[in-house]
Amino acid sequence: MKLKEVVKALGLEILVFPAPDLEVHDGYVSDLLSDVLAHAKPGELWLTHQRHLNVVAVAKLRELSGVIFVRGIRPGLDVLQKAREEGVNLFVSESDAFHTAGRLHRLLFP
Amino acid sequence: MRWFRIDLHIHSVLSPCGSLAMSPRRIVEEVRKAGLDLIAVCDHNAGENGKYVRKIAKGSPVVLMGMEIQTAEEVEILALFAEEEPCLVLQEELYALLPPIRNDPELFGDQLVVDEEDEIVRSLEKLLLSPVPLSLEEVVERVKARGGLVIPAHVDRVPGGLLGVLGFFPPGEWPAVEISPWLSLKEAKERWPELEGRSIFRSSDAHYPEEIGRAWTEAYLREPSFSELSLAILGEGGRRVRPGPALKEG
Repeated sequence: MKLKEVVKALGLEILVFPAPDLEVHDGYVSDLLSDVLAHAKPGELWLTHQRHLNVVAVAKLRELSGVIFVRGIRPGLDVLQKAREEGVNLFVSESDAFHTAGRLHRLLFP
Repeated sequence: MRWFRIDLHIHSVLSPCGSLAMSPRRIVEEVRKAGLDLIAVCDHNAGENGKYVRKIAKGSPVVLMGMEIQTAEEVEILALFAEEEPCLVLQEELYALLPPIRNDPELFGDQLVVDEEDEIVRSLEKLLLSPVPLSLEEVVERVKARGGLVIPAHVDRVPGGLLGVLGFFPPGEWPAVEISPWLSLKEAKERWPELEGRSIFRSSDAHYPEEIGRAWTEAYLREPSFSELSLAILGEGGRRVRPGPALKEG
């Protein structure tokens, strides 16, 4: 499924969205960046509470399709700036990790 | 100059997870038995018991003031100070910012300030096992603004360690880091090549009296002091630090 369709279906708030046509086939939920570096797979959409600047670099390194900050968490301007430079998609979901992941899962694996 | 043995990460009864037996008196007793020359008592987001540990130790061992601060990212860092005031002022600042979650001593353990006579001075009401709502950057800035030293604690640990949580070093200067008691230096550097060239500490992270002395750092200094340690971290004038041997698992 195209990322822009996922964004619409989940009602995500867009923070940075340079690559709307990326394909999303799976998701990953983690707040530990070392865990994401080790286990997330390219193309996955990443749900997290972590809003440190390193999130952008990790998403880029793992070639993730984007990052969703859950429970309405908003990262700082430095994170947005870096994401624009690196071309990393960032979103906010007002609902919590469990419900966001649940809806994403139903969408991708109906 | 000579090698001194140091442990900058010892908890006391002020940490909810620290044993009730970890009074300032007992800590000094155990530290002397273990032959440590320089220590810091770093409780979770608090450093007040260091004051009493100092009174009892009377310079033997030398006691730095310190705290183990948990940042908003849930990264834990050791903040170390030569003097009492900046540490205690920062403790008050952080305490005011901590979320209003009351500690339940039955569940988490007591958070007690205990004096040099083993008397309870006060009990901290808010749960200290919470991250302060300040980013890693903000915490580092506050510590450095007060002349403190920053050493990210057990960087390899998940959760709580800088590399475990954040994956790699964020921008900024990170000349000194602590690795877990159980992790060998070789293993640490294989896993994180970026540790090369930094001053690597190992500490006991003792929560119980019998854990004091189980792990340490060796530092080549003129004398065991905050200023000498600061120079050693930067490798000035032949001063340097090296982690003691890794603790065997179990």
